[in-house]
Amino acid sequence: MCLLAHCSLLGRWPRALIGYARVKPFMDVPAIRTEGLTRRFGELIAVEDVNLEVAPGQFFGFLGPNGAGKSTTIKMLTGLLAPTSGKMQILGLDFEQNPVDVKRQIGVVPEGMALFGRLTGAEYLNFVGRMYGLDRETAAKRAGELLEFMQLGDQPRKLVTDYSHGMQKKLALAAAVIHGPKILFLDEPFEGVDAIAAGTLKSMLQRMIARGATIFLTSHVLEIVERLCSHVAIIHKGRLVAQGSLEELRAGVEAQAASGNGDHLAPGSKLTLEEIFLHTVGGVRGAEQELSWLG
Amino acid sequence: MAGMSGLQARAQLQAIAQVRWEIFLHSLRTTKGTLELFSRILITAVMTAGGLGGAFGLGAGAWYFVSQGEPEFLAALLWPVFMFWQFFPVMATAFNETLDTSNLLRFPLNYRSYVLVRLVYGALDPATLLGSLWLTGVAIGVGIAQPRLFLWTVVVLAIFGLFNILLTQMVFAWVERWLAQRRTREIFAVIFFLFMISFQLIGPLMSRFRPRSASSMVRVSGEVNTVQRLLPPGLSAHSIASRANGRWGASLLSLAFVAGYGAVILRVLSVRLRAQYRGENLSEVTKDAFAKSGDNGVRVGWNVRGVSGPIMAVFEKEFHYLSRSGPMLLTFVTPIIMLVVFGFGQGRPGGGFLQRSPDLGFPIGAAYTLLLLTNLIYNNFGADGGGIQFFLVSPARFRQIVLGKNLTHIAVLVLEMAVVWIGVSLLFRRPSLAVTMATIAGMLFAAPLNLAVGNLMSLYSPKRIEFGTFGRQRASQLTVLISFGVQLVVFAFGATVFGLAKYYSDIWIAAGLFVILAAISITAYGLILGRVDALAQQRREVLSSELCKA
Repeated sequence: MCLLAHCSLLGRWPRALIGYARVKPFMDVPAIRTEGLTRRFGELIAVEDVNLEVAPGQFFGFLGPNGAGKSTTIKMLTGLLAPTSGKMQILGLDFEQNPVDVKRQIGVVPEGMALFGRLTGAEYLNFVGRMYGLDRETAAKRAGELLEFMQLGDQPRKLVTDYSHGMQKKLALAAAVIHGPKILFLDEPFEGVDAIAAGTLKSMLQRMIARGATIFLTSHVLEIVERLCSHVAIIHKGRLVAQGSLEELRAGVEAQAASGNGDHLAPGSKLTLEEIFLHTVGGVRGAEQELSWLG
Repeated sequence: MAGMSGLQARAQLQAIAQVRWEIFLHSLRTTKGTLELFSRILITAVMTAGGLGGAFGLGAGAWYFVSQGEPEFLAALLWPVFMFWQFFPVMATAFNETLDTSNLLRFPLNYRSYVLVRLVYGALDPATLLGSLWLTGVAIGVGIAQPRLFLWTVVVLAIFGLFNILLTQMVFAWVERWLAQRRTREIFAVIFFLFMISFQLIGPLMSRFRPRSASSMVRVSGEVNTVQRLLPPGLSAHSIASRANGRWGASLLSLAFVAGYGAVILRVLSVRLRAQYRGENLSEVTKDAFAKSGDNGVRVGWNVRGVSGPIMAVFEKEFHYLSRSGPMLLTFVTPIIMLVVFGFGQGRPGGGFLQRSPDLGFPIGAAYTLLLLTNLIYNNFGADGGGIQFFLVSPARFRQIVLGKNLTHIAVLVLEMAVVWIGVSLLFRRPSLAVTMATIAGMLFAAPLNLAVGNLMSLYSPKRIEFGTFGRQRASQLTVLISFGVQLVVFAFGATVFGLAKYYSDIWIAAGLFVILAAISITAYGLILGRVDALAQQRREVLSSELCKA
């Protein structure tokens, strides 16, 4: 049934995504693996001794409070930032030794989206495709399909700088997948995106997972992470404090609560990701504080 | 209530000044910031020295004219100051800064404060610094010659200076508006095309007026004098002269006219400022932004046999960027404007500079073209902004990216040189084969040298610039200083080579020597290009943080 459903949808899907159907995940090596990953900025240790392991085909959520080190980690994993120490392997390849080979296999939507504002959407996608080594015809064809799929094709002369935030996010995601990457890194892909655009993005990401890609995303929207991700890691003050499937994390928090550490949990209730997150990072919600000048 | 809003406006202006001061102090925390400050001090010192020299010369001229009882001739001093004040910002955009005030709009700033901020901070540019120094020199010269004229001269020149500040800002604000959108850019391109065609008319016209009798020259001079007296520089000189001759009424009237010109300019500028104050967005969106019958705008990318996909993709992207940048388009037409300015000297007795030495037209025009490109060459990634992150995560090698950008710069340089060659041919005379070849060989030396140093500076001292507006265009001061040093080296070599060729009366010697120098600079370019990948890896954090700044 599931296979049939996929087949019936193939006609509507950009070729860049259909390509995943042919991707055989490297089941023997992790998609992402870090060992003792550390990054210092002067005296400040932004990320310390992070050991991550993401299996191929996982939808992996990387969570943490503001300033915890999420963006620093994703920047290191995508080559935007050099680690101070530690190792990173992407699909079994050492990033520092094989940066170009690694970059060919990954797609990235960084924090700032990395767009070129004074190109049109079509020009931008075409450009990105060719930078990833696609031939001219393939780049143009995929650019057209992606514009259509993302519903960005109706204003061909509009420059990217004039796109709304949601449109820019969709374009950035389209650019990240145009070459058919095996791993997709997304830094806050749903930030500032309306419900319609978020729906398009989510369905696209789920299809990619179904076709064997690995997705590594950071997000503050825990409901979305809970719905999409099969595995989660939580970073706090630069250190990895939890990692595993949602069920494993839930079980861990419940075990902690049962042993008397942390808050008491309501019996019989299933912990949400937000509750797991708050338990793990020790956050407190809604401190009652008066601001004298506010009415 | 009015007092309240006045207090608020003052507090806002103080807050803006304080923020700028704090930003400046924070910039000193880094080595780059300290180097920037050092470069800025050095550049300001050089400019001030030049400005003081000019002020001394103009002061001496003013003293001479007034003490000889010919204060009307002050116009001959005020016109060059006016021309410099208006043309320098266009011709040297690397040194120019216009404050981007769009960030202020979210605060409850009233329109008057907004205009004040625009005018005050917009006036902090080298042209205003030098122009003000020179006018001060004129005032002092007049004051020494006739002390009782000093105060009046100060008042007149202050209003004249204010007029210049307003005119510069008005021109920039409107040109920015016209060049911001495709439709108006196309009109600009057509005008430029017509201007190019009109070259064919300028040459014969000048030839026609060249052989003149003394009496007709006197008549033309009289006509020119009548016209110039109706314009601000002439009116200002006339106001001072009338005051010197005891004609208070005429003096006041002339000054009123200068102020009137200023008021009109302010009114025209105000139309733009009001639009900006209302939060205008100069976007490219037009009615035809929407697709016609399923056209999604996708075109197959450009291709040149033998050039790899990524290099060609960068070349195409750079071309799109340049063609959509008003300030850049304006920069590209200035060499032609400069040739015409030099060409207008031809009618004078003794001829203009290039009429006396027409062979220098092509080398000078070509050198000036390269000079204008330094803004691009020395800050390769400035206009990419956040797009730099794409370059860093993409599998394309940085040397391919840099090469694609350099190819665009070379293409622009070649095109500009061709236009300059045609312009020189039509305005003066066709450059000889030897001069043409020597100039091309000279460019083969100068361009790779500039590109090589420019590539290094683009990685070591990147600075975000906005191609679409005239604001935020200033390059890093360190980059300006280093590019200035490179131009001095190029100029020294060029002068030596041409000097040798002139000494031996054979311009082909210059071509030969330049070819040898070109081989050295091309080798240096190749070596640096080979190091670009490693350097970009080392500098990726600086590139990312500097260029992704909001």
